[in-house]
Formats: sequence, structure tokens, C-alpha cells
Amino acid sequence: MPTSLMINGERRTSNRDPMTPLIDVLRDEFLLTGAKSVCREGVCGACTVHLDGRLAVSCLVPIGTVEGKDVRTVESLAMAGELSPLQQVMEQHDVVQCGMCFPGILMTLTSFFQAQPNAGRDEIKAALVGNICRCTGYERLVDAAVTLTKRS
Amino acid sequence: MADSVADATAALTDDGCVPLAGGTWIMRASIRGEAQSRRYVGIGRIPELNTIDVKDGEIRLGACVTHARLVESFAGLAQWNGLAAAAGAAANPAVREMATVGGNLSTQDFFAADLPPALLSLDAAVELVRPGGTERLSVGRYLDVRRTLEPGALMTSIVLPRRPMRTGHARLPLRKAGDYPVAIVSMAAVLSSDGRVDVIRIAVGSVEPAAGRWTELEEKLLGRPLDPDTAHEMAEATADTFTGRDSVEAPGWYRVKVLPALVRRATQAVLSSR
Ligand SMILES: Cc1cc2nc3c(=O)[nH]c(=O)nc-3n(C[C@H](O)[C@H](O)[C@H](O)COP(=O)(O)OP(=O)(O)OC[C@H]3O[C@@H](n4cnc5c(N)ncnc54)[C@H](O)[C@@H]3O)c2cc1C
Ligand code: FES
Ligand code: FES
Repeated sequence: MPTSLMINGERRTSNRDPMTPLIDVLRDEFLLTGAKSVCREGVCGACTVHLDGRLAVSCLVPIGTVEGKDVRTVESLAMAGELSPLQQVMEQHDVVQCGMCFPGILMTLTSFFQAQPNAGRDEIKAALVGNICRCTGYERLVDAAVTLTKRS
Repeated sequence: MADSVADATAALTDDGCVPLAGGTWIMRASIRGEAQSRRYVGIGRIPELNTIDVKDGEIRLGACVTHARLVESFAGLAQWNGLAAAAGAAANPAVREMATVGGNLSTQDFFAADLPPALLSLDAAVELVRPGGTERLSVGRYLDVRRTLEPGALMTSIVLPRRPMRTGHARLPLRKAGDYPVAIVSMAAVLSSDGRVDVIRIAVGSVEPAAGRWTELEEKLLGRPLDPDTAHEMAEATADTFTGRDSVEAPGWYRVKVLPALVRRATQAVLSSR
């Protein structure tokens, strides 16, 4: 049965088997390769997207359950051609290394700052427990995120 | 995807068809080396399973309420401190948005689940729709029978009795956060005006294959003033009733060994929840 959903504001239809993980549909069918498929078990966070405005690890979302839902991927953050404030601070602080974890980290922090714009260091770290980064050691990343809360 | 409980139970009477709630356990079947050949009926959209209904004597949680919604609804309310801590410390933020209460209670081979001990300590019940009609079971009973329920059975809600209790949930993951807890202690108590224990329910998770009450410790604490040191001491004296399960994360003896320390922390959480 086909599944029709909104992805980054556009209506899309997938004919994949309903138990196919959303990450595979995003990457293979719609060529949205920002979200990464790494652990495929909800641990690393590289595949994180927003589903109806809430965080989801897209490796654990069967496509058959998202009929009519609104999916936002990392590609949606800079839709107008301009980086989001979060993306800008990450770039200014030269945080990104290999970048594998980053799409997920951006989606997690984007949603987190909407809920808690004035969060402190510890809260930011707690928000990131589901996003594993092998390169940065997190500290620089959290430093950058903190400047965003101070700015607002 | 079912639109109503009736749709779901009709599909479920077909042998081999099972409910899919948040999918966070089912979608990892192949990683655990299990077959994923059975049919699934998605229950996450059924409105009745997504409501939180607050009544005078009880609160009814739809089975598909997520961990994140539990935290949003219960955080900051003293009586539900333990439940909010259990739901809010499990897994990671994205998984908490997806994983449901009903799924957490129904995952038979998941031994480290946080909500079973929390709900046991709260004396919660579950409501099931079965081919013969609707039935209410204690959480403990549900944990015993969940493996053997007939096709067509579906948990529709979890019922929390409202009592003037104070509650806490203490868990020990091996890393600071993000992995499964090695052992869990949930506690709910009613204290008299002089601080003595009038009613207490203590439940342990992750140590044995199923969560269960720690009645020996409850009996020892009844009628005494509740304080972390006494609770720790009594826990040491009765912890040998548990047989810890061995796994790659931790040996069984270790799970039992940390219980008194978790009892101390749960007691501190209970005393500070007002
Ligand atoms: C990275 C990661 C970390 C995790 N860490 C923790 C943790 O620290 N603590 C913790 O407790 N959990 C943890 N979990 C496990 C997670 O909480 C469970 O996978 C989840 O609770 C299952 O809920 P679900 O809604 O996703 O269930 P599903 O995967 O949809 O279903 C699980 C099982 O329950 C059955 N089921 C679901 N709903 C019902 C119902 N209403 N009636 C009858 N049967 C039903 C299904 O048929 C299936 O057998 C973690 C998961 C991940 C991915
Ligand atoms: S690929 Fe989804 S969490 Fe790792
Ligand atoms: S930058 Fe390489 S994993 Fe995070």
C-alpha cells in the first residue's frame, strides 16, 4: 500500500513495504542523504528527523506508520539558502569534523532550543545523550550551542 | 494502521498478527537476530489509546502515550516524581518521543525496562480488551501473563490510583546516560505525620528477567521512620532473595550487589518529593 506524507513541505508518496524504515525511504527513494543510516537501532542519533514537530530516529520508524504526517530533515534547516542560527554557530566555532553525526545533532538541538531557548550547559548535554559523535569530544560542540542560548 | 480499538482487535485475532505501537523494539528485531515475518497492526493512531484522562480517584493513560508525554504531563508533581523520573531517564530524547507505555510493559524479552518497576510501585493496573470482553489486571499479573495472551488481546490503558504517596525511581546505567540500566529500584510510600512508613511498595527491575516487588524489604520498613541509612541496611539484609541475571553488560552478582545503594537513592528521592 502506498504511503503519502509531507517531506520538507512537499507531498511525497512511497511504494515501499510498510515496514521499511523511514531512513531508507528518505535516502534511497527521495535522495535526501542528510540523515545518516549508521547503527539502525536508535542509539547513535545520526538519522534523527522531526516527525510532526517531534524528534524521531528515522531508522525505527516504519514508513507505513507515517501516512499524512509531516517529516522535516536536516535539509529543511537552510531551505531559503541561508543557514539557520544553529548551523551558523557550529560553522563559526569550527565544530564539524567528519560530519557523520551532524545532521542528527542539528535536528536534536533545533527541537531542543525551541522548547528550552535558555538552556544551560548540562541541559544541552542531556539533550544530546542520543547523538553519538566519535570526533569532536562534544565540548566544542556544547561551547558553540551555549553561545546560541546567550545570544537569544 | 488501525483507526479504532475494534479495528485493531479484529486484525489481531488473525494468528501471528501483533500490535506495533512506537516500533522501537519491533524495528530492532533483525538486529537481535529475530525474524520479522509476522504481520503487524499499527495502533499508534487510535485516539482512545493516546488520551490521558485525569479522574478523582485515578488517572487513565492510553497505552500509546509516549515516554515524552508522560514526562510533560507528570514532571514537577510530587506524587508522580518516580514515574516522571522513570520515563524521563529511559533511552534518549528521540526514543522517548516514540516509545509507548504499553510497548514498554509488553516487551516480553526486554528485562531492563524502566516502567514495569515504576508502575508496580504505584500499584497500577492495566486494561485489556480480549475476545471475551474487557478486563482489568494488576501490572504484576499482566507481566506474568503477557506471554500467553490469546490472539486478539490488546492493552488499551494503564490505570494509576491517586493516593497521597511520595515516590522515587533510582536506576544504574553503566554510562552516565543513554544505555540500559543494570538495576532499578522504584519506591512509593505513604508516611505518617511523624515520618513513619504507613504504606510502602518497592519494586526491582532489570535484576531478574521480570520486574517484581521486594516484599521482604517492604515488611522490614513498615512502621519505621523512613531514612536512607536504615533502608540501605535493611536492603543489604534482604538482597539475597534475588538471583541476578547474567548478560554481556553485567554479571548477575553485580546487579544484586548494587541494589542497597539504589534503595538508598530511591529513599532519598521519596523523601525529597513533596
Ligand atoms: C536506544 C534505545 C535505548 C533504550 N533505553 C531504554 C531504557 O533505558 N529503559 C527502558 O525502559 N527502555 C529503553 N528502551 C526500550 C524502549 O523503551 C522500548 O523499546 C519501548 O518501550 C517499547 O515501546 P514501543 O512503543 O516502541 O513498542 P513496540 O516496539 O511497538 O512494541 C514492543 C512490544 O510490545 C507489544 N505491544 C505494544 N503495544 C502493545 C499494546 N498496547 N498491547 C499489547 N502489546 C503491545 C508489541 O506487540 C511488541 O511485542 C530503549 C530503546 C532504544 C531504541
Ligand atoms: S541510525 Fe538511527 S539512531 Fe543510529
Ligand atoms: S563529527 Fe565525526 S562523528 Fe561527529
